Amino acid sequence: MCALVKEFLLIAALTCVGAALSIGTKRAQAPWALPELGPGEILAIDARSLDPIWVDARSEEAFAEAHIADALHMNEATWETGLFDLMDRWLETPRPIIVYCSDAGCSTSKKIAAQLREALPDAEIYTLNGGWASWQP
Amino acid sequence: MAAIKRLPIVALILRLVLAGVFVSAALPKIQDPIAFTDSVIAYRVIDGSLASWVGLALPWLELVCALGLLTPWLRRASGLWIAGLLALFIGLHAVAWARGLDISCGCFGTKEGSETSYGIYIARNFALLVAAVYLIRLDLFRKSPLRKTL
Repeated sequence: MCALVKEFLLIAALTCVGAALSIGTKRAQAPWALPELGPGEILAIDARSLDPIWVDARSEEAFAEAHIADALHMNEATWETGLFDLMDRWLETPRPIIVYCSDAGCSTSKKIAAQLREALPDAEIYTLNGGWASWQP
Repeated sequence: MAAIKRLPIVALILRLVLAGVFVSAALPKIQDPIAFTDSVIAYRVIDGSLASWVGLALPWLELVCALGLLTPWLRRASGLWIAGLLALFIGLHAVAWARGLDISCGCFGTKEGSETSYGIYIARNFALLVAAVYLIRLDLFRKSPLRKTL
């Protein structure tokens, strides 16, 4: 039994060395270095795997310059038309909705997300932690 | 080497197959841990930093255990780890299937077919699990050479 425990410990130690190598060579991000999440927020790394409906709450110019593929543009000014488009998409295939603005300092995504939670109480709605800046490689 | 020569040929073949499968599963994930973390999150069982820990450590654990299966002084624990991982993967696939998730397996990195075939994943892992259990039974009746070397 003691030898078996030694085997397990050796495997654990080798695994730790390998994981440290991945972090050291910058292939992987250290899990303890991930940013903290506020209420209703989601990390870019988690969002990528959800296949969500993206809502871009930045300015029209910023959206025209670049945006996440298939994102809908929606802010205070385009709320009505944006909401119809979003409902169409969500009713067709219900899936999580993620709202983003430019970076961690902006608050438009939180406002839009709060309004969307009222308009679509059954939908799963998040804001992207770090915004568009966190999506960029 | 002498210890391996004494094993029945079936056990040696099973050992090589299991090790080969786990090495080929581990290497693409080690190359791209972020993509593997995405695959882990897609199962919607864990997320955030816990998923990052799994995405970081699991590929290395698979690699170490695969090589450990071929190493006389690591083969018992490696076999147990591999059997445990296979049972976990079967459970995760069954849950994802029951929940109707249309996701990539993530088993061999991200370069896989786009169709989700849970039945095939589960059957494949079950066959590997049977092989692993056979090897564990074989190895647990042998004394570990680690007792002498450590």
